[in-house]
Amino acid sequence: MDRTEMSQPVTDDVILRRIERLQLNYIASIDDGPLDNWPQFFTDKCLYTVVSRDNFDRGMELGVMRFESVGMLIDRATATQHAAVFAPRIIRHVLGPAMVDDTGEGYRSRCNVVIYQTSPDGDTVLLMTATYNDLIVEQDGVLKFKEKRVIYDTHRIPDSIVYPL
Amino acid sequence: MDGTQSPDNSKTDIWSEAGTTRVPFQVYQDAEIYAEELEKIFYGASWNYVGLECEVPQAGDFRRNFIGEREVLMIRKDDGALSVVENRCAHRGAQLCQALSGNAGNAIVCPYHQWTYTLDGELTGMPFKRGINGKGGLNPDFNMRAHGLVNLRVESLNGVVFASFDHDVPGLREYLGPDMVKYFTRIFDGRGLRVVGYERQVIDCNWKLQMENLKDPYHAGILHLFLISFGLFRLDQESKCLVDDSKGHSVLMTAKGTEEGKEDTGGVRIAAPDFSLTDHDLIQPRLEFPDNVTLSIQTLFPSIIIQAQCNTLATRQVIPKGPGSHELVWTFFGFEDDDDEMKDLRLRQANLMGSAGYVTLDDAEALEFSQVGLSGSHVGDAAVLEIGGKDCESNDHLVTESLIRGFYMRYRDAMGHGKAGV
Repeated sequence: MDRTEMSQPVTDDVILRRIERLQLNYIASIDDGPLDNWPQFFTDKCLYTVVSRDNFDRGMELGVMRFESVGMLIDRATATQHAAVFAPRIIRHVLGPAMVDDTGEGYRSRCNVVIYQTSPDGDTVLLMTATYNDLIVEQDGVLKFKEKRVIYDTHRIPDSIVYPL
Repeated sequence: MDGTQSPDNSKTDIWSEAGTTRVPFQVYQDAEIYAEELEKIFYGASWNYVGLECEVPQAGDFRRNFIGEREVLMIRKDDGALSVVENRCAHRGAQLCQALSGNAGNAIVCPYHQWTYTLDGELTGMPFKRGINGKGGLNPDFNMRAHGLVNLRVESLNGVVFASFDHDVPGLREYLGPDMVKYFTRIFDGRGLRVVGYERQVIDCNWKLQMENLKDPYHAGILHLFLISFGLFRLDQESKCLVDDSKGHSVLMTAKGTEEGKEDTGGVRIAAPDFSLTDHDLIQPRLEFPDNVTLSIQTLFPSIIIQAQCNTLATRQVIPKGPGSHELVWTFFGFEDDDDEMKDLRLRQANLMGSAGYVTLDDAEALEFSQVGLSGSHVGDAAVLEIGGKDCESNDHLVTESLIRGFYMRYRDAMGHGKAGV
């Protein structure tokens, strides 16, 4: 997550734009759906975690979600759409610009994210402020997340977290 | 109604009957009843969860928490014992500690005027106590001993810490009773504990609805389609619902793998989707206690829940935030002697629980549906609790609301809301 001695800031605009495009497509799969598209942004073996900053700062890995394979992501997407019972809602991610480093094993991308939630009655609340700490690799010419760690500040969650973040 | 209540028990008549098969919707939304609950239950003769001993290992360590709406600090003292004091300066009432946890050194100092207290809450000094050049300051007759922090009674049981504002409350073991101590120490068996992590969420419904939900095995086999789809929980599994003598505490337990054939749901089809997991690692538990129980939920009056679902263990503390809201604080824990595999299992199975949990996400949503629904009710409207009959006894099946009826027996007693005997 930190810049290592080996890592170099990425200045190539083409790569930066491709990474930005990946992030925007990723959030669109959650905000606009279909959620079935969400797992495809990850490599088969991957790590997706959503951890509060409170836990993170204490060195605790416990997350509200923790998935270690595309299979687990597919299961979450399926369960969310077909098994979970919840009030309908709209999710909206707003991303800040990313700082990207080339580590040799992939691109480390870090950006701020703000996530809002809108109820069926039309009230919008701030669900959380967070950062994405990602490791992005190129697989068959396509950029994918090998790791996506969502570290969220808002560790007093309003009600529940239904959709992935 | 019993005619012997004291004059302040004006709410007795909201209960339409002696038993608890009807719970008036007012108890979930009336501000006066809520204020009475804080005084009589949370600040009264009850033991309230304040944390785990392992959260404050070193002298001076503190952790901030709530009992009712009052903030308290659980503190490790120099001699290794624990103290719990109210997080409020005896001078002008300022909040003393703002961080959720930390180390106070050897004294608690108010940030406002630096009034200084021992870790037990005794007032030891303040700046300019005698003024400057004999002018100002406190009068010499000011009684330092009478102006300490509010000090709570503290007891811990196998590493779990409880406190009470009432120094005359019976001891913790007596309060819990032998049956509840037995199931409590099934999980908290004396091994060293470690915190795996925390989750906090604010759910907009009355705190009692959260407690009811964990005393309601009936909903679990219907609402939680995830559990049903994967056979983690079925209402026909070998099970036990145990109520203590006071009726306020309970434990429910089920054993996966004991169900036979197809569940008989009484002709009503439960709309559970038929799908299987792509990655089964999520729900591959390892039995870790000396029985075949795969789910146990213990609820202790007034507001703490101890969950053991497969290998995900947690305390869930219910903190009231006004009549229509509460905070749920999850402390996921394991044991000091957990091996690496068990550490992984606890992290992975935590997907089932918490604010985004496969199981508990449904609960938080359904509880808010309840509060929204009942907030439009008329005086006299009440919840109907007759699943499994009218009594509050222990059962060897799950299709019952007897644990909830028991909770309200204890509740009525604590509130002085008439005699709740059936």
